[in-house]
Amino acid sequence: MGTRERRGRSYSADAHLASLFSDALLQIPTRDSLALAAVGGYGRGELSPGSDLDLLFLHNGNIPFSDLTKAVEKILYPLWDSGFSVDHSVRTRSEVKEIADTDGRVALGLLDIRWVAGNRDLVDTVESVALMDWRKNGARWISELRKFSQERAQRSGELAYLLEPDLKESRGGLRDITALRGIAKTDLVTVELDRITKAESTLNNAREALHVITGKSSDRLSFFEQDKVADLLGYKDADELMLNIAQSARTVDYLSETVFHRFDQYRPAAKLFSFKGRGSSDEKVTEIAKGVGIYQGEVVITGDLKLDPPVLLRAAASAAQRGIPLSIDSCKLAKDNLIAFPEPWPREAREDFVALLGAGNAMAQIWEALDQAELTQILIPEWDRIRSLPQRNALHRHTVDRHMVETALHASLLTRQVHRPDLLLVSALLHDMGKGLPGDHSIIGAEIVTPILRRMGFPESDVAIVETLVMHHLLLSTVATRRDLDDPTTINSVCELISDPMTIELLHALSISDGQATGNTAWSNWKASLVADLVNRVKKQISGVGLPPQPEFSESEKDLAKSGEIHLSLIKREEITELLIIAPDRPGLLSIVAGFLTISRLNVRSARTRTFANSAVMRWLVLPDVYAPDISESALKQSLVQTLNGEVDIAAKIKERVSSYRSASPIPVPPPIVEVIHDGATEATVLDVRSHDQMGLLYLVGKAVTEAGVDVRAAIVSTLGAEACDSLYITEVDGRPLDPKRALEVAQSIEQQLRANKI
Amino acid sequence: MANMNLITAIIKPFKLDDVKNALQAHGIKGMTVSEASGFGRQRGHTEVYRGAEYTVELVPKVRLEVLVSSNDNEAVIDVIVKAASSGSIGDGKVWSVPVEQVVRVRTGEKGVDAL
Repeated sequence: MGTRERRGRSYSADAHLASLFSDALLQIPTRDSLALAAVGGYGRGELSPGSDLDLLFLHNGNIPFSDLTKAVEKILYPLWDSGFSVDHSVRTRSEVKEIADTDGRVALGLLDIRWVAGNRDLVDTVESVALMDWRKNGARWISELRKFSQERAQRSGELAYLLEPDLKESRGGLRDITALRGIAKTDLVTVELDRITKAESTLNNAREALHVITGKSSDRLSFFEQDKVADLLGYKDADELMLNIAQSARTVDYLSETVFHRFDQYRPAAKLFSFKGRGSSDEKVTEIAKGVGIYQGEVVITGDLKLDPPVLLRAAASAAQRGIPLSIDSCKLAKDNLIAFPEPWPREAREDFVALLGAGNAMAQIWEALDQAELTQILIPEWDRIRSLPQRNALHRHTVDRHMVETALHASLLTRQVHRPDLLLVSALLHDMGKGLPGDHSIIGAEIVTPILRRMGFPESDVAIVETLVMHHLLLSTVATRRDLDDPTTINSVCELISDPMTIELLHALSISDGQATGNTAWSNWKASLVADLVNRVKKQISGVGLPPQPEFSESEKDLAKSGEIHLSLIKREEITELLIIAPDRPGLLSIVAGFLTISRLNVRSARTRTFANSAVMRWLVLPDVYAPDISESALKQSLVQTLNGEVDIAAKIKERVSSYRSASPIPVPPPIVEVIHDGATEATVLDVRSHDQMGLLYLVGKAVTEAGVDVRAAIVSTLGAEACDSLYITEVDGRPLDPKRALEVAQSIEQQLRANKI
Repeated sequence: MANMNLITAIIKPFKLDDVKNALQAHGIKGMTVSEASGFGRQRGHTEVYRGAEYTVELVPKVRLEVLVSSNDNEAVIDVIVKAASSGSIGDGKVWSVPVEQVVRVRTGEKGVDAL
């Protein structure tokens, strides 16, 4: 098994054909009017037992038809009769060019043309013309190859994830490798072929072994044959074989994605005389965050990875939230230069990680880029064990790691259903970490996940929640489908394990994401409704409504509030800046102060506000914009006073800031949701606002609240990754609580305004 | 108790007359003929084939079916093969399967009497 054996077969075939050819020559008048060439796989000089002989008969057009037929017969018939699988055509050089001009597969096959017998000149001219034409129409061929690749993927699935893949046709397989070689020959884009040499040899060896074992030419590696193939190739078992195949396919797939993306960035109009697609005058690196830039449609790392390791996550999050790729070169750079991540992770790194996970489909590409560069193991060392770990049963479509990424993708669509989207996303990504080890993977997973969360710097309370989620991620599906929901003991048993509303809502979302990611065999509307029913019953039984408590403030803060003066104090900490702002309360104050912070280029990460004695006490945690000049406490206070006096047109300035920054997120995100919660105990009405984070969001929310004619008594504002979760305690302007109908109207009007996105 | 066979032959269309005549000369009184298309090892390509290598062509053929008594099976197959052969690729295949029952519609005759 291997290149040597394949070449050996190719040499024997060459010799056999050469001797058949010399017999055939006796049929034709002039000996140099005919040639025989190998194209395609045989042209590359490698033959598996089940390979076709791809032959091209070239003639000069002057041979009488019957003589030509007899000559070709003398070669083909013995081949057919001895059982060779032959794929042939008979053409003059101009006929070759004609058909190659219209048929991409022919053109691609010709790139591997190799003389076998007869007039060498005939073959040489075809070879040089074929390459020249290929390069001339390179852009068109690359588009065609991409189309073929997509069609193949539709028909034959993905090599990395199928239980019984087709080694040649499935996506990431041998045909894709041939396509990549063809694209490299166009000279239009860089193709790092060295990245796939190992993959190519793995897949070729597997294919050859398969042919030897089955005695047939089929390339589909069935479940039954995997054990024998693994044995023949010297793998420990079928799992190891499939893991290697999966990794090979992923490498090929990733290179294909990268190359096609690079091609999309290529602008042929600017390049009349050069072939490489880089370097036109408008290309420079646009800085978008500290140490992160955009170049030719990809995110690149410009910062120092040794001094600032979190720049990797910053770059990944920026790329994912913009829906553009992370440059393959930057990933390589990170792999070479990143020593280790600081432990525990700084807050910003954690936020970027969550923002990466929450980006939806865009995240999958970025995660794959990180995985291909082996960076995922630097971020999460435990990830290495489950990379490409197969789940060889009919239930699962994907390898363990890909399944968890898919779960996170589905979870990103459910971020509006939970109060802690960050915990949902992280649990989704890590919920099956326990697989592949003996024992119950839920319990083991929970043990594996706890140190990971601590390493990421999550507080203990969060670590405990995620531990619970991972430990019980199968609980709801199991109970809902196998136990009687009408029986109180069923509900009780769940409540004993999950006793607070926030965790149950997270577990519900996690169950949905996990089910959807596993596929139709594991999740359906029927199952979903059973689980939803269970969750409703559990929620009713769990005490409390899950309201965040109104913030408490210190005595000194309360005293300042009573004084009725405007107060601003600023404490710069290493990771974040704390701002304490106290000002006389009035309608719209939250919106004004939020707007003020946005204009002052301070990015709100969280806030706790509450009214005391006619003043509002507000504690803000903000991150100054990277490029904003340093601002002093006194200057900021002065600016605040001016703003509160009405000397600043907030709306206009925010519009300016937003337009100079970047508008709505380019990736699709779930729309904002505004929910009403009534606390029977305290008669408070709470509006839960959940939305994708954007500049000026809190200003917008505050404005909508004011316009709805209600007052904010207290607010708890959090930004988790790229998601904003705000809980606002509201009352009528005169301080009365809202009646349910009015509260619902207010919520709907605010939701509508947010969706219309009017700043 | 199979004492009858169905012989099916896929042949080149232009060979139909030759095969028909040869069968009649052998004493076969009836047959069924239908149009078919197909390919074999050469994928429907002729010797001098100018199309793209990887396409597999369906080539028009004729399907011929005769019912025979089992002791005549080998002989009839032989007759068909000789008559249908042209020597070049695409000549086709002949095969036989045992038949349980045959009935002549008009008279109700069964078995070998219905052949």
